[in-house]
Amino acid sequence: MGDTIEVAQFSDWMRRYAGVIHENAAMLTELDSAIGDADHGSNMDRGMSAVVAALEAGEFASGADLFKKIGMTLVSSVGGASGPLYGTFFLRFGGKLGDGPVDAQALGVALRAGVEGIVQRGKAEVGDKTMIDAWAPALEAYDAAAPDGLDAALRAAAEAGAGGRDAATPLVARKGRASYLGERSAGHQDPGATSSVLLLEAAAATLA
Amino acid sequence: MIGIVVVSHSRALGEAVAALAREMAGGNPPPMTVAAGLDETTFGTDATAVAAAIEEVAADGNDVLVLVDIGSSVLSAEMACELIDPDIAERVRISAAPLVEGIVPAVVSAASGASLEEVAGDAEEGLDAKRVHLGADAGLDTPPPLRSSDTRPASESVEVVIADPHGLHARPAAKLVALVRSYDADVTLADIDSGAGPVPATSLSKVATLNAGHNARLRATADGPQASEVLAAIRDLVARDFADSPHEVSPPLRSPEYFPGTPKHAPTADAARSVVEPRSDAPSAQGSGLDAALGPAYVLRNDVDLEAYQQGSPAEEQQRSDSAVVAVAGAIRQQQGSDTGSTSELSDILGAHLVLLGDDTMLDDVAGRITRGESASASWQAVLNELAAEFEGLSDAYQRARAQDVRAIERQVLQALVHGPDSLGHQDIPDGAVLIVDELDPATAAGLDGAGVAGVVTMRGGSTGHGVIVARSRGIPIYTDGGDAVTNVEDGTTIGFDVNTRKLVVAPDEGQRSELVELLARHRADADEASRRATESAVTRDGMRIRVGANITSASDAAAAAEQGAEGSGLVRTEILFGASPTRPSATIQAAAFVAIGRSLGSEPVTIRTWDVGGDKPLPFLPGPQETNPMLGVRGLRLMHQHSELFDTQLDAVCAAAEQTPVRVMFPMVTTRDEVDWALDRLAAARAKVPEVNLAVGIMVEVPAAAIQIADLAAGLDFVSIGTNDLTQYTLAADRGNAGVSELADGLDPAVLQLIRRVVDEVPDGVEVGVCGDLASRVEAVPLLVGLGAHDLSVVGPMVPRVKQAIRRTSRTTARELADRALQAGSAKAVRELLVAHRMPTGSLRHC
Repeated sequence: MGDTIEVAQFSDWMRRYAGVIHENAAMLTELDSAIGDADHGSNMDRGMSAVVAALEAGEFASGADLFKKIGMTLVSSVGGASGPLYGTFFLRFGGKLGDGPVDAQALGVALRAGVEGIVQRGKAEVGDKTMIDAWAPALEAYDAAAPDGLDAALRAAAEAGAGGRDAATPLVARKGRASYLGERSAGHQDPGATSSVLLLEAAAATLA
Repeated sequence: MIGIVVVSHSRALGEAVAALAREMAGGNPPPMTVAAGLDETTFGTDATAVAAAIEEVAADGNDVLVLVDIGSSVLSAEMACELIDPDIAERVRISAAPLVEGIVPAVVSAASGASLEEVAGDAEEGLDAKRVHLGADAGLDTPPPLRSSDTRPASESVEVVIADPHGLHARPAAKLVALVRSYDADVTLADIDSGAGPVPATSLSKVATLNAGHNARLRATADGPQASEVLAAIRDLVARDFADSPHEVSPPLRSPEYFPGTPKHAPTADAARSVVEPRSDAPSAQGSGLDAALGPAYVLRNDVDLEAYQQGSPAEEQQRSDSAVVAVAGAIRQQQGSDTGSTSELSDILGAHLVLLGDDTMLDDVAGRITRGESASASWQAVLNELAAEFEGLSDAYQRARAQDVRAIERQVLQALVHGPDSLGHQDIPDGAVLIVDELDPATAAGLDGAGVAGVVTMRGGSTGHGVIVARSRGIPIYTDGGDAVTNVEDGTTIGFDVNTRKLVVAPDEGQRSELVELLARHRADADEASRRATESAVTRDGMRIRVGANITSASDAAAAAEQGAEGSGLVRTEILFGASPTRPSATIQAAAFVAIGRSLGSEPVTIRTWDVGGDKPLPFLPGPQETNPMLGVRGLRLMHQHSELFDTQLDAVCAAAEQTPVRVMFPMVTTRDEVDWALDRLAAARAKVPEVNLAVGIMVEVPAAAIQIADLAAGLDFVSIGTNDLTQYTLAADRGNAGVSELADGLDPAVLQLIRRVVDEVPDGVEVGVCGDLASRVEAVPLLVGLGAHDLSVVGPMVPRVKQAIRRTSRTTARELADRALQAGSAKAVRELLVAHRMPTGSLRHC
C-alpha cells in the first residue's frame, strides 16, 4: 500500500466492486422494489459484468483510458438511470486523474469531479434521497482526512457515505421513480445511495 | 428538414411510436431513428445508442429533435449530447413533450419544413389538445396555450374568433398589430365569412378595413422564421380577449350609470368596460368628480391653420414629415409615462395612437404624396382624412367613433408641422376654466390638469369617445354634445353645467349662478357624507333598511367593494370571474374563489350566478353556438341544458362554498317553470353530496315572460333578482349597443317599471325581490326602485356609498308616490323628469 495509486489498483477496484454488486444484487433489487422499479441490482450487475469483460479484453495505459472505457460501458449496458449517472461519474472521474501519480489529493479532486457529474446529470441535491446523500458527506470526510493519507481518507469517506445513506432513509424522495411515491418513500433505504457506499467501500479496500 | 430521434426504455414501444408518427406525417416523413431498449426485450436506455442515433439523423445536416419517454431516457439523451461532436450537439434539442402526443405534431410540423424551434414548440404543445378536450384542470396560473380544434399543429395559419362585442376595434387591433410587428414573420389577416382581406397584419388601418365584427372568424396566415410563434401569440392574445396578460381576468362590464352623468344614450358595452375608476390616491390629477362645473370658458381650437405653411422641396417635406412623426410619438410617449392618473386603459388608447402613427401603409401613402410634389401638411391631411372616412364608413358604431382617434393624430401631426414640435404637449388652460372643445381626444383629455380645470364641454363626438372616457375616468366633469349652445362662446364667458340634469348655461344670470354654486356645494357635501357613511347600513327616513350589495367579477372587486361598504354581493358574475380560464375550472377552484369573495365581503351573503353565457360572449372552454341572434338564442340556463356537466360542476362548487360562507345561488335567463324545475333538480343532486347547508335559491328576472309569470316561476324560491339591462332590451326590443335604437333601451321606460312592479306584487310571500341590473347603480333611480318595492339592490362597487346615501334621503311614502307617478308616465323621458324633480325639490336650472 503506497501513497499513490497504480492503474492496476483501479482495475482491482472495479473487479471488486463488480463482485460486491453481484453478491448484493438481490439486496439492491429488493431495496429498489420498495420504492423504485426493482431493477437496480440487476441493472448494476449487468453493467459491472460488462465492465469486467471490458477489463479482460483491453489494456489500459492510464487511469483516464480505463475509466473512459468503464464509463461508456456502464452507459450502454446498465439501462436504467444508474447507467448515465455512474457512467458520468467514471467519465468525469477518469478525466481528472491526469497523467501523473494519483495521490490522496489527486484522487479527491477526481472523486469531486465525478460527483459533480452526477449532480449535473441527475439534478439532485442533498436531501432528495438519492446517491448524492451518500456522496456529499463522503467527499467532505475524504477531504478532511486526505492529509492523513489515502487509506484514512477513503475509510472516512466510506463511513461518512454510509452515514449519509442512512440519514436519507427517513426522507421523502424528490427525484426519480421513488418521488412518485411521495410520503410513502420515507423509511426506505435508497438503492442508489447503497450502491454508492459499496463503491466507496470497495475503493477503501483496493486503492489504499 | 428536422430529424427526429425517439428514445424509449422499450424497443417495441420506440419502434411502434416511430411507425405511428410516420403514418401521420403523410408522404414526406422526416428522417427518424429509434434508440430504445438495451436489446429487443430488455428495458433500458443506452446513451451511446442515443448518440449514434442523433449522429445518424444529423448526418445530412439536419437539426435534430430528440423525443424521450421517462426517467433514464432523459438522462441518456442529455448524456448523448455530451458524447457527440459539439458542432452537432448545437443542432440538437431534447423535447420535454410527452412522447406519443409530442411526436405526432413534431413529424407533421417537420414534414412541412418547419424550423427546429417550431417543431420543438409544436411537440411541446402536443398535450394541449387532449387537456383542453378532457377539461383537465390546468390550474389558473398556468393556462396551456389553446389550440384550434384539430390536433394538427397550425404552423401556417390559425383561425380565431373575435369575442369582443365590438369586434376587432381600434385597441385590440392595435395590440394585435404591435404584437405581429414584434415577430420576424409576414402575417396577413382575412375574414373567413365576409371574404374581406387578406390584409397585412402590420397595418392598423388595413386591419380596421376588415370591419371584423363581433364573432368574426379571422384566419391569420404567417410566413417567415417566426411564423408559428407569431400565430401562437395571436391565438393567445385572442383567447385572452386581448387582455394584457394571461392572468388578467377580463375587466368587469361597468355600467354606464356608474358615472351618473352619462346621458341616456348608454355607451356601448366596450366603452363602458374601458371606464376606469377615478383614483383617489392621485388627487392632483383627479377632477372634482362633482358632475357639475362653473367657470370662465376657455375655447380650445383644434383646427390648425395651414395657410402659413411654407412648402419646401420633396426631400425637405419628407424630413419635416419624419420629424413631426417623431415629435408626436415622443409627446404621446411622454403622456403615457408622466400622467399620474394614468390607467392601463389610457395607456392602451395612447398605444393605439402610437401604432397608428407608425402604420407602414399610412406612412407609405404620405411619402408617396410627398414624392409626387405635395406638401407634408397636405399629404398628412389627405391621408388621415381618407383613413378617418374609412373608419366612419364601418358598420359598427363604436368602430366608427374611432375616426376621432385618427383626427386626434392628424391634429397633432399638423400642429407639429406648422408650429414646430415644441407646440405639442400640455395646453395652457387657466385654472378653474371650463374647457370648450369641438371633440375631446384622449391625448388632450389625459393632459388636462384635473385640479385646474373645472370641467369640459364638447361640441360633438358623443359620450363614448376615448377622450370622453378618459376625462370621465379621471373624475373631470364633462358635458358632451353641447352643440350650438357653445359654438360661439368666447373665452372668459361664464359657463356652467349640471351633468345629472343635463343642463347647460352660458353667461348665467345671478340667480342661475347662485343655483349652480349651491348645486356644487351640495354635490360636494353629498359626496363627503356618502363616503364618510359608506360602511353604515342604508335605512330610509321612515326606517326601512335596504341592503346594498356589490356586483362582483373578481376577488379584488370584492375587497374593493367591502371597503366601499358593500353588504355582500347580489351578483357574482362567474362567467367573468373565470373568463380567463382556458379550461373548465374544477369545482374545487370555483368553490375556493366563491369562498374568497365571501370572506372578502366579511362573510355577508354572496349571490353566485351560474354561467351566464351565450353565443355573443363564449367562454374559452365553452365555445358558444354560432347564432344569428344570440341574445334570443341559447344562453344562460338554456345553454346549461346542453352542457349539464358544466352546470353540475358549478353547483357542486356552490354547495361546497356554502359549507364555508353564506352563499345564494341564482339562475340566469329563465323563461319557464320547467327550466326552474330542471335547475332545482340538478341543484338537489349537488346538495345531496354534501352535509346539510344553508343555501338560498333564486332566479334572475330578465325575460318579460318570466316577469309576467313570476307567481308561478318564483314559487318555492327564496328570492328573485331583476336584471334590468336584459329586461329592458327584451321588453323594448332594442339593443342598447345599437346607436340607432339605444335611446329606446332605457331602463326607466314605464313598461319596464310596470314589469318590476308586477314582480314585486306577484311573487309568493317570503320571496325577496332584488335589483342587480344597471338601473340600481343609477343614483337618481334609487328612490324609484325603493318605491317600486325592491328589498335589496346590488350595484357596481364604487357606487355603493352614493346609492346608500340616496336611500337615506328617501322615505318609503314619497318613494311610493314617485313610483306610482312613474308607472303612469308616458315615456322614459317623462320618468326622468319626475326623477329630476324628485331629486331637486328646490327647482332646476332653466335652459339658457
